[in-house]
Amino acid sequence: MKKTFALLTAVALAAGSAVAEDKIVIKGSDTLGAKMVPQLAEAYKAAGNTVSFEIAAEGSSTAFTTLLSGTGDIGMSSRNIKDSEVESFTAKGQEIKDWTAAFDMIGVIVNEKSGLENLTLKQVEGIFTGDITDWSEVGGQAGPISVYTRNTSSGTYKSFQGMAMAKRDYGSDTQKMAGNEQIAEEVAKNPNGIGYVGLAYTEKDGIKAVKVDGVELKPKNAKEYPIARSLHYYTIDGKLSAAAEKFLKWATTADEAGEVVERVGFIAPN
Amino acid sequence: MNSSDPSESTNPPSNERGGEFRKKGFKVFGLDLQDFIKFFFSGNASLAIVILILICVFLAREAALFFPDHHKGLKAYRQSGQELVDFVGEEVNAFTALYSSSNIAYYAELNESSLEQDNLLAAYRSVLSLVKNETSRVRDRLEDKLDDLEDAQDDLVDAREDLAKLDPVNDSEKVEKLKGKIEKYTKEIESLKPDIAVLEPELKKESEAILNNSLTWKFDNSDLKLTKTQIKNFREAVLYAVPNAEGEHPYIEELKKVSAAKKSVAAEKLVDFKATVTGLRDSAKEVKSLHSEMKKIASLAKREAEKFETAPGRRAALLAGAKLEKDPEAKARKIERAEAVMVEEPDFAALTKPLYDKIPEHEKLARKFEKEVEVLASQLPRKVSTKSATANLKEARKAQKRFESTVKSSLDKIDDWRHDKAYSIVGSISAFIFGRDWVTNSSWHDFYGLLPLFTGSFMISIIALVVAVPFAVSAAIYVNQLAPVKEQNFVKPAIEFIEAIPSVVLGFFGIFVLGTALRNLSQVPWLEWVPGFPMSERLTILNAGLLLAFMAMPTIFTLAEDALNNVPKAFSENSLALGASKLQTVLQVVFPTALSGIIAAALLGFGRIIGETMVVLLVAGNKIKIPDFSEGLGVVAQPAHTMTGIIAQELGEVDNGSLHWRALFMVGMVLFFISLLVNFSAQKILQRFQKI
Repeated sequence: MKKTFALLTAVALAAGSAVAEDKIVIKGSDTLGAKMVPQLAEAYKAAGNTVSFEIAAEGSSTAFTTLLSGTGDIGMSSRNIKDSEVESFTAKGQEIKDWTAAFDMIGVIVNEKSGLENLTLKQVEGIFTGDITDWSEVGGQAGPISVYTRNTSSGTYKSFQGMAMAKRDYGSDTQKMAGNEQIAEEVAKNPNGIGYVGLAYTEKDGIKAVKVDGVELKPKNAKEYPIARSLHYYTIDGKLSAAAEKFLKWATTADEAGEVVERVGFIAPN
Repeated sequence: MNSSDPSESTNPPSNERGGEFRKKGFKVFGLDLQDFIKFFFSGNASLAIVILILICVFLAREAALFFPDHHKGLKAYRQSGQELVDFVGEEVNAFTALYSSSNIAYYAELNESSLEQDNLLAAYRSVLSLVKNETSRVRDRLEDKLDDLEDAQDDLVDAREDLAKLDPVNDSEKVEKLKGKIEKYTKEIESLKPDIAVLEPELKKESEAILNNSLTWKFDNSDLKLTKTQIKNFREAVLYAVPNAEGEHPYIEELKKVSAAKKSVAAEKLVDFKATVTGLRDSAKEVKSLHSEMKKIASLAKREAEKFETAPGRRAALLAGAKLEKDPEAKARKIERAEAVMVEEPDFAALTKPLYDKIPEHEKLARKFEKEVEVLASQLPRKVSTKSATANLKEARKAQKRFESTVKSSLDKIDDWRHDKAYSIVGSISAFIFGRDWVTNSSWHDFYGLLPLFTGSFMISIIALVVAVPFAVSAAIYVNQLAPVKEQNFVKPAIEFIEAIPSVVLGFFGIFVLGTALRNLSQVPWLEWVPGFPMSERLTILNAGLLLAFMAMPTIFTLAEDALNNVPKAFSENSLALGASKLQTVLQVVFPTALSGIIAAALLGFGRIIGETMVVLLVAGNKIKIPDFSEGLGVVAQPAHTMTGIIAQELGEVDNGSLHWRALFMVGMVLFFISLLVNFSAQKILQRFQKI
């Protein structure tokens, strides 16, 4: 009797763990989830790990709602967790753990026809807050500056404010676009346009990234470039499945993972 | 149904509804099939009404909760002293406008000296960009290969260096590995070379083809005429720069050098001007640093206020977390942490005291600042050579007047200011309705002012109406009164088909086709007299208005046509019988009779467009600012944001129940009322019309 019971538990445990290890659910930021994490997942599977992934990229905020409801293993976020979010985890008696996923550089882009090569961080601040309104003030050809930014729900909107604008508010003349692609599109069409996009989007035709404080926008300059941020994975302490933990360790430390991260235009964390 | 049945027809007339037409035998609880059908439909109708009421209640509740929250937010804005700091900020902003104009004027004068070279450089960049765009397919492939080649070469060098460091005996395994790698890289380099050898001449050929036809070269400065040698130099320079070159072609280097030299000569002449502009910049330093100091103090107070606001929630969260904890020690620790959360109101008098202490200092500095600016502004040159500098200096003088009055009013406001002065509810309502700023997700303070969004929505709708009504009404008159039947049968469905186009498709059309076309049209030189031309943006009020006009047309057309249809035939027949021509009859009898119906149609069209979201979100340009009406009609070339657009853009990620969330509901409520009002007035007008 005892034996059968033990056997049954063992079978149940094995079945349970097999199911749990089968699938890793990752949700959150679209900066991470659009290209980087899906490609990491592919590379991870190609490296001989038998797991399946479910990845949904609907914005950084969803990372925390998913973790909170217990419907996901890993949350992706392009910003740091907010205090109010930490609170809701505390209320459930959970501690949150932060993993650095990659570093992202935000490029300040202008139209290709602009003769401008370099801007200081102070000038970037002036342009995006509306203090500087004409290109001649920063050494370009005269013309009113048209500023394109992300909209308020974007993580990049907020992190750019922190990194490049001394936390000041955007000027009221800025135009709020839905995504990186749309900003690049408008700047490419407007000789007086300026905007910011993630490193991966600066290759588009018709635009060019200016140097900021004399530092060129190149992955090897990540340490000196002034407008760079870290991207995160968040997990709940003690609730992380072994498979998910193994994947995270691989994704944040392995060389092959680093190559994938750099291929999609971010900088590997290690 | 069965009245033809002779046996039934002899029955005495029944008292039940339906009489003898009623079938017998289908009764459940005394109800037959027809009753069920009736109840089904009336049930559906009442369900719709119940849902409508629920929606209204939900909207109204969220919106009603907005004002108390908004009031609380504004109270905190005052208590923490942020309001005071923003009075100082107003001075700084007014100064920035003055400084910016004089700075632009200076650079306009300076750049005038090297205009020839700068125009040539700009033209060169235009040609380069043209060539790059036209050859992008080949160029992308070549650039990829070149990047790969460079990477492989770098890797090869690294591997060779590593190999040199290794000891061939002890690390034989690693050495083998590295040798394998070196072989791999060498092979890669070899395999890339043939492709590059093919692609490079191909790119050159394509680029040359474009360069040979110098007539297709487009310059933003269309007056520029190039000499033959310049064209030749441009060709060489562009060919040198495609795909990717280190540095610039000597011709371009030379142009840049000449430009810089001319500028430095001009700068010597403009040294006084420069000194004035620099003096202006420096005059603001003290007030600016005081402003940022005060900002820090107020931010601290604001954080305390926020902490207090969220303290009960945090405490509850910590206690709830402690309850779940099983380990008694950890539990005690968590409870302790929960108890430590401050729930007492912070002492704002103490927190804002440093701000009050700064007031005398500010007054002293502001007066000094004002004087210095006045002196410096009078030193700005009266006579300048360029048009742009003249205009900007005029603007600077105006800005100086504004700056003076701003300083005066700021000083008064600061004198009157008390952190504990009550904030009236009326004040918070008018701050929403007449507020000129909509700033969210700010690290300083969120402002919810409807005015910029309302003006955007309103202007776009008005443009749409102005364009759509004449077209739609004349189309309706033509189709209803003048067109032959065959044409009627074609035109009517065609116009009504517009309604079937999804608005997101129209939005994309607006960005890529209409926007680009409008801007290109606006850059045609002989159209410069049109207000707002040349336009620098693609996404503008005008663009959105035109698209919405297109969308409103079927609504207005159909309703206007109905109104014309409703004019009794006798009217036009009488008119024709009295000898009036067809056109006279249409314009002087039928149209005036149907006028109220047509006005109602226009109103309903307005209701249709003010609620439209997708098109304005994609096409209006999303700039949250009241358009600058000083440009007259040219104002339509500016971007704007709308009430519908802001809801769609921001509702996605705001926290449920937060002030921002409720503000968006309140905007929805305003939209709801506008629609209600428009529909109501349309109904009223229609009722009048039906009385004839």
